[in-house]
Amino acid sequence: MAATHQFSESNGAGETVTDGISNANFGNNDSPNLNTTTYPITRGNASFEKYHRSKFSGTFTEISNIKFWKSAGAYVTGESCKAAFDVAYAQPSQTPNADSDVPVAEPGTHNVHAADGSDTIVAPGYTKYWRLQLQTTDSTPAGAVNTKTFTLQYDEV
Amino acid sequence: MSNTIDLNLSGGNTMKPLAFSWKAFFVDGSIIEQYENGIENKFQLVKDKFDQLVRFSLVNKDYSKCFTVDLKNGFILYNNYRDIKLTKVEYKENIRLIFFRRHTVEMTEQMIEKSHKIIYFLGLQWIVNNQNHSIILQINENGDFIIGN
Repeated sequence: MAATHQFSESNGAGETVTDGISNANFGNNDSPNLNTTTYPITRGNASFEKYHRSKFSGTFTEISNIKFWKSAGAYVTGESCKAAFDVAYAQPSQTPNADSDVPVAEPGTHNVHAADGSDTIVAPGYTKYWRLQLQTTDSTPAGAVNTKTFTLQYDEV
Repeated sequence: MSNTIDLNLSGGNTMKPLAFSWKAFFVDGSIIEQYENGIENKFQLVKDKFDQLVRFSLVNKDYSKCFTVDLKNGFILYNNYRDIKLTKVEYKENIRLIFFRRHTVEMTEQMIEKSHKIIYFLGLQWIVNNQNHSIILQINENGDFIIGN
C-alpha cells in the first residue's frame, strides 16, 4: 500500500491538530471541517487563515518533490486566494494577510518541505505548514464563488 | 451576501492500492519483492544493495504487464522482451536505476478526492564518454507508457 497520506489542519492558540480532515472550507471561524452556511465569509472580508500540512504514514522510504498549487477554478471579481509555504504555526487570523497569491500552475520546484526543513521525508511524519486565506473585496459579487481545484503532488519510493 | 469557498480535501484519504509492485534481482541470485508473505518491504532494502542490483521489474497484479530494467546491459524490457527500442545499442558504464512513483492528488469542494493518479517513473541512467545519459518511462496505472523525463 505504500505511503498513506492525510491532510491535517491546525487551529486555535494552543494548536489543536486534526489529521484526516474531511474538508477545508474557508469561513469566518477558526475550526476544521466547518460548515460554510454556518460560517460564511461576508464580501469585503477574508476567511480565517487555514494552516494545513500533509501527514505521511505507512511503508515508504522517501517522500520528496512536494508541490501544491491551484490547478482550476476561476476567481470572481475581487476574489483571491493567498498562500505562504513553509511557515511556522500561529493562531489563525481573519485579518487579511499580505501573502502571495497561491500558485496557479505547477511550481518549477517543490514548495513544500519536510517538517525539519529538509527536501525529503524519510520517516512517518508531517510536512511544514502551508497557510491559505480566501480574500474578497467590496466588488466581489454576492453568492458562492467558483469551485477551486487544488493539486498536491509528491514523489515516493 | 456571502462568499465561501467550499473545498473538500480528502478526509482520511488513505493511499489507494498500487497497480504495480516491484521486484529486485541481485547478482547473487537473491530476490526482494515489494510484497512478501503479506508484508511490504521498503525500497530502502533495494537501495542498500544498489551496487549488486542486476534487474528491477514492475509487475501489475495479474502479471500481464511487466517492465524490467536490465542494469547489466542497459536495456528496458516489456514482458521480458526487448520491445522498447529506447536507444541505439552502445556500451554503457555505471548504469543506475531510476524509480519512483509520482502521486497527483486533486481536490475540489464536492468530491473528497476528485482524483488520485500515480505515475510510475522507471528508467536508467548511465555514463558514456564521461557524459551522463538517462531514459525514463512514465507508466500509468493501466500500464500505458511514454518515454520522457
